[in-house]
Amino acid sequence: MITCCLIAFMPACTDLEEEVFSEVTADNFFQTEDELISALGAAYTSLYGYMGTTSLYAAQEVSSDEMVVPTRGPDWGDGGHWVRLHQQLWTAEDPTVTNTWNFLFGGVNSCNRLIFQFQELQNPLTDPFIAELEGLRAIYYLWLMDLYGNVPIVTSFADANPAPPTNSRAEVYNFVETALTAALPLVSESVDGTTYGRVNQMVIQMALAKLYINAEVYTGTPQWQKAAAAANAIITSGNYALENDYFANFNVDNSGSSEFILAIPYDAVFAGGLNIVMQTLSYLNQQTYDLQAQPWNGWCTLEEFYDSYEDGDLRKGEPNTEEGPSTVRSNFLVGPQWDVSGKVRLTDAGTLASGVDPDGEPFTLRKEINELFPEAWREAGARASKFEFEIGGRPDMNNDYPVFRYADAMLIRAEALWRMDPGSAEALDLVNQIRARAGVAEFTELTAENLLAERGREVYLECHRRSDLIRFGEFTKAWWEKPASEECKELFPIPKSQTDANPNLVQNPCY
Amino acid sequence: MSPILTARVSKLLSIAVVLFLSVAMSYGQRTITGTITDAENGEPLIGASILVQGTSVGTITDFDGTYSLDVPEDATTLNISYTGYTSVDIEIGSQSTVDVALTPGTELEEIVVTGYGTQRQKEVTGSIAHVNAEDFNQGNVNDATQLLQGKVGGLVIARPGSNPNQGFSIRLRGLSTVGASTEPLIVIDGVLGGDLNSVEPQDIESIDVLKDGSASAIYGTRGASGVILITTKKGQVGTTRVEYSGQVTFETVDNVTDVLDPGEYRAFGGGNDLGASTDWFDEIMQTGSSHIHGISLSGGTTSTTYRVSANFRDVQGIARTTGFQRLNFRGNLSQKAMNDRLTLTANIATSTEDAVLGFDEAFRYATIYNPTSPITDGNDRWDGYSQQVLFDYYNPVAIIEQNTNEQRTKSVAANIRGDYDITDELTFSMFYSQQRSNDNFNSYWDKNSFWVGENSGGRARRVNEENSDQLFRIEGNYDASVGTNSALKILAAYEYQDFNFEQFGLDGGNFLTDAFSYNNVAGAQDFATGNGTVFSNRTSSKLIAFFGRATLNISDTYFFSASLRREGSSRFGDEEKWGLFPAVSAGIDLVRAAGISGFDQLKFRAGYGVTGNNVGQSLLALQRFGPTGNFFFNGSFVQSFGPVSNPNPGLKWERKEDVNVGFDFALLDFKLTGSLEYYTSTTTDGIFLFNVPVPPNLFAQTWFNVGEVSNEGIELALGYNVALGAGNSWQIDFTGSRWFTPELVSLTDEERGVSIGGFIDGANLGSPGQNGTPLVRLEEGKPIGQLWGLVINEGDPVAEDGTWNFVDVDGDGVVDDLKDRAVIGNGFPKYNIGLNNSFNFGNLDVNLFFRGVFGHELINTFRAFYEAPGQISAYNILKTSGDIPDLVDQPQFSSYHVEKADFFKLDNLTVGYSLNEDNLPAGFSKIRIYANVQNLFTITGYSGVSPEARLEDTGSSFGSLAPGIDRRNTYFTARGFTFGVNLGL
Repeated sequence: MITCCLIAFMPACTDLEEEVFSEVTADNFFQTEDELISALGAAYTSLYGYMGTTSLYAAQEVSSDEMVVPTRGPDWGDGGHWVRLHQQLWTAEDPTVTNTWNFLFGGVNSCNRLIFQFQELQNPLTDPFIAELEGLRAIYYLWLMDLYGNVPIVTSFADANPAPPTNSRAEVYNFVETALTAALPLVSESVDGTTYGRVNQMVIQMALAKLYINAEVYTGTPQWQKAAAAANAIITSGNYALENDYFANFNVDNSGSSEFILAIPYDAVFAGGLNIVMQTLSYLNQQTYDLQAQPWNGWCTLEEFYDSYEDGDLRKGEPNTEEGPSTVRSNFLVGPQWDVSGKVRLTDAGTLASGVDPDGEPFTLRKEINELFPEAWREAGARASKFEFEIGGRPDMNNDYPVFRYADAMLIRAEALWRMDPGSAEALDLVNQIRARAGVAEFTELTAENLLAERGREVYLECHRRSDLIRFGEFTKAWWEKPASEECKELFPIPKSQTDANPNLVQNPCY
Repeated sequence: MSPILTARVSKLLSIAVVLFLSVAMSYGQRTITGTITDAENGEPLIGASILVQGTSVGTITDFDGTYSLDVPEDATTLNISYTGYTSVDIEIGSQSTVDVALTPGTELEEIVVTGYGTQRQKEVTGSIAHVNAEDFNQGNVNDATQLLQGKVGGLVIARPGSNPNQGFSIRLRGLSTVGASTEPLIVIDGVLGGDLNSVEPQDIESIDVLKDGSASAIYGTRGASGVILITTKKGQVGTTRVEYSGQVTFETVDNVTDVLDPGEYRAFGGGNDLGASTDWFDEIMQTGSSHIHGISLSGGTTSTTYRVSANFRDVQGIARTTGFQRLNFRGNLSQKAMNDRLTLTANIATSTEDAVLGFDEAFRYATIYNPTSPITDGNDRWDGYSQQVLFDYYNPVAIIEQNTNEQRTKSVAANIRGDYDITDELTFSMFYSQQRSNDNFNSYWDKNSFWVGENSGGRARRVNEENSDQLFRIEGNYDASVGTNSALKILAAYEYQDFNFEQFGLDGGNFLTDAFSYNNVAGAQDFATGNGTVFSNRTSSKLIAFFGRATLNISDTYFFSASLRREGSSRFGDEEKWGLFPAVSAGIDLVRAAGISGFDQLKFRAGYGVTGNNVGQSLLALQRFGPTGNFFFNGSFVQSFGPVSNPNPGLKWERKEDVNVGFDFALLDFKLTGSLEYYTSTTTDGIFLFNVPVPPNLFAQTWFNVGEVSNEGIELALGYNVALGAGNSWQIDFTGSRWFTPELVSLTDEERGVSIGGFIDGANLGSPGQNGTPLVRLEEGKPIGQLWGLVINEGDPVAEDGTWNFVDVDGDGVVDDLKDRAVIGNGFPKYNIGLNNSFNFGNLDVNLFFRGVFGHELINTFRAFYEAPGQISAYNILKTSGDIPDLVDQPQFSSYHVEKADFFKLDNLTVGYSLNEDNLPAGFSKIRIYANVQNLFTITGYSGVSPEARLEDTGSSFGSLAPGIDRRNTYFTARGFTFGVNLGL
């Protein structure tokens, strides 16, 4: 009775429309050019996850012979997944396996969604954006294919299959090649501030170069000629040149380096996500750089890798001494540690019982790592200082991160030419340009061994090492605290959270 | 059906028909006066109820026990009733004076609040527990729910530490949800979702708990976890009463974590002797002294009643820098008008509170800080506090002394209600309520605080939150009584409630000076450099419902109740906003119906109800976009917008169906009373946050209605009055419950391809060193609350080489960190009991309350981290590390750290003395003094600080699905000594 009257005279009394105050829905967004650009940005914002502590960076680096995260007493045990990552014993539930997948498919999906939304708008302003997004999506797939091999190809948004089936690695290869080739003429050819950090023609060429140089791994069929050609398009474009100083690429103010083909413009305020300073430095190093947070004392470089640099290699730099800190930039931080003035020797006095570190109180980073777990010294391992640490810095660093760099393009062309002709003079010259800048003697010939090692030294910490080791057939061999592994470890497993949710996914062999 | 009964039923029905045809009735009137007295001593009874049978015409006696009532000309019988006395029906014939003497001490005619109405206890067919003020817990009680701790079967109220600023977690009947709220709905004087802090414990008259679905279904989408109905005290007809109560409490530390003292630390070896001797617990703790004062005045005439009260409390915790000051006012006024047909009632309550929250981290660091470290060593960098640079390791005294963490709260709740008797049977009511509360959180971390502030050059954080809601309700009530003991009541209502939440805050550092604390945030250079954080947000939601209920009492023998609520929530998907929640229940008094002998009362009752559980947040059904970061565009950073959720237009309420059966009984002339009941429930459409495939979804997680949970249990309540002769009494009350651990039946929906793949592990142990260590496995077809981990070899926990000796569970010859984990306990308690003894020896009253919880396990995370001899190189360790001297391995969680946590404690002991009325000084109507001890002793085998069940995990997103984890930031427990006085003027 009462019910009836109420409905009759108070329609608002049954209104359950949900109000949104501090977020937006598709109904009230994507109207102005600024909003469109902001929407496009979401696809690039995804890229900032590249260097997450358990994201692509960990999958590419810690699985290789370049970086390791030893268990240092009570620190970094973390359920054993760092040790498993080093020993290639990862499982489908390990955080790096899951988070890397989520990062990459998050990027794919941002692209798919924006392509769909821009198409819906039918606004000519969005046409170049659509090509750019298709190129970027192909790059996310390039990485998915590299890490997981067999993944579902999803290009639609509105009518996407809720449980897309696995595509084979060869199918993904073809998809990436086709998409990159198609996007190439449609994206911007400018290489300047307007395309910094975005996909332009040179970025597409570099992605093709990376695709082709690894084609044999991906499909069984090598594509050396195509790799050489794509790299050559970059080299002959006149857009890039080697910096005189290797570290100009990695300093805090490295933005706009003449070697950057695609950089992620990390920023302490606007765009966080580059945290090498936290991952690698010791707690005590907070005083070395007057940092705003206490570092985590984790990631370091394997001794063998450190030793692959000869003395005098400008990239290796010089260790600190008991007289004071080294005055030159270097890829590694080793030796006695000092406070920010460079005059006060840091010690663990009053912190740790004797015996935890080999030399007691003085705090000395050392290239040796006594064991992988459970009691690695707190001062074990050379720390990765390639990306300059800012005095007074925050956990999020201001350095830009090179995803694709000119020196790598030169080395790809050199390798492709060498693969086709081991005596190629151009190949040798390209590698020697790199070596000359590092202040080391020229090679007289190229071999698989010295080419892989030179790539390692030059593009250390740039997320290429795992692919390089696989391509040179070294990835499954034994190294420090890592037994030889099966070939199927060259692919990561599909995360359990995904196979749980999607029965059409096929797990990779080995898992 | 007997002919008489048939006649009564048909009469009831005919009355109903008459009512709905809205035939107006009119009466002639006459006046009856009289006095109601106690039959044993002849004392007048104040507030006894006189009701003209079959009508709602009635009154209550005044201070002299007298009354005057205008009764309709055709009235024949008066019902006279008084709590604690046998009700009588008196034929009035043509008398104008009716004096009645009532006999005390037989069946209690308690009135039970059922939600949108009341019933006599004997009419109740659902599962409802009623607790009066005299049965509440006493002592240093600052929270209304604490009054009930242990008093209601199946209701567990727990707060593991004694943090005065922390609320209690409340859980009724195990767990019957996967992802929605587990807290019962709180209703204060008819206001749904009332703010517990705004209701002063001393202002509460009674609390009723609706336990089963047949009782709580009338609360629809918020009834699934039970309903707690709080009724505040009201003014009574009679002369003005003024009451004062005051108390002082001293709290001391009851229990701390058992770590090495300085001497033991040195003797243990391997540690770093820094030369001093410090008891870090002493340094961060204190004897907390608290005082509470309350004053109330109340009174009324037959047409006006009022009560106002003011309460002040100044409470200090046992940790330095924890406590609060709170001032509450409450007033209510009730006025009759229009020939007593209209009753207007207004309530207003305000609360202001200044709290010092302190830092719970201090407990964790006091536990592990080196006991040979001095507190201060003159180091200027850290204001002279001694600090050692290690991961996750900070001087606890510096934490609490250098930094500030405060909260200021103001709240106002006001409501007004009008009831108009259209006829004697039919009442129309309107109710409007508004609540608003504002919380201001203010923190500052010193520039020289090694813990937080140093990293950012001092740091200030200020957050302001405002919660408000308004509720509007229209009710129609029809109430027909037939004969002495039969009645039909019908309720129909509409209810609208909306909620609004707003938050604004900022967080920034880099101060030149600490002088401002948090008072001048413009001094934080972070805001100039772009490193400061500013945020604000707002959400709202609405609930709208139509509901009705009919209850029928036939000759106090057969009882029926049925209710239906149709409710909509704005939070659900477009197609699923409305839900229907029916309930039916029935009871039969077998003594009256079948003449069963030996019992004074034996009532069998059964109920079935469907309730819902709402989602915890707004906007989950919508695809939303928000700022997701920045990207570099043409040389500058531009804010990028992206999706922050997946849409789910099918999102709806969890649906819980439950069945409750029980017996209420009374024996031995009502000396022994009790009830026994069994419940079973099934929850479907459980709301859970699922991982979804990232293609095609934009977001890796979506809330779906998929889960199914089953739950059952048994509850027993017994009361026995031991006769001790004149003036003396001993009442024993026991409540007990058995929770059969709830089972996760399913978290899979094959049609939609939503699944957890059989199980998911969660509730990470954490750093240092034990990230990626899940403590709980949630598994389909298994009990909820499974503790999960490696299994230790009980007899020999350490192997010869000094490593942990784990069991090879899968028998493959190798102990594998992942494959050899197993279920190693369950965090759900199985038995909860409360045992109350209340004695009266003349002027002396004594109350002893024991409480016990049994059958649950706890993970002692302090042990999982700091019970390993090798840890002494960095941290202080537990004394029990000496049990495993040969361990060289790192700490690693396993079944070794899971302990049975059964306990039985003397929770509350009160001794009071009341002065005889003859001895009272002039002007006093009552003087009582009392002393109380809380938490006097606990019998338990648990080695941690508190064996109290941990019903939810605060350290992970698993929340209530991860009971049984004793985390490291827990406040320690206290023992309280209270002295108080109650005065009546």
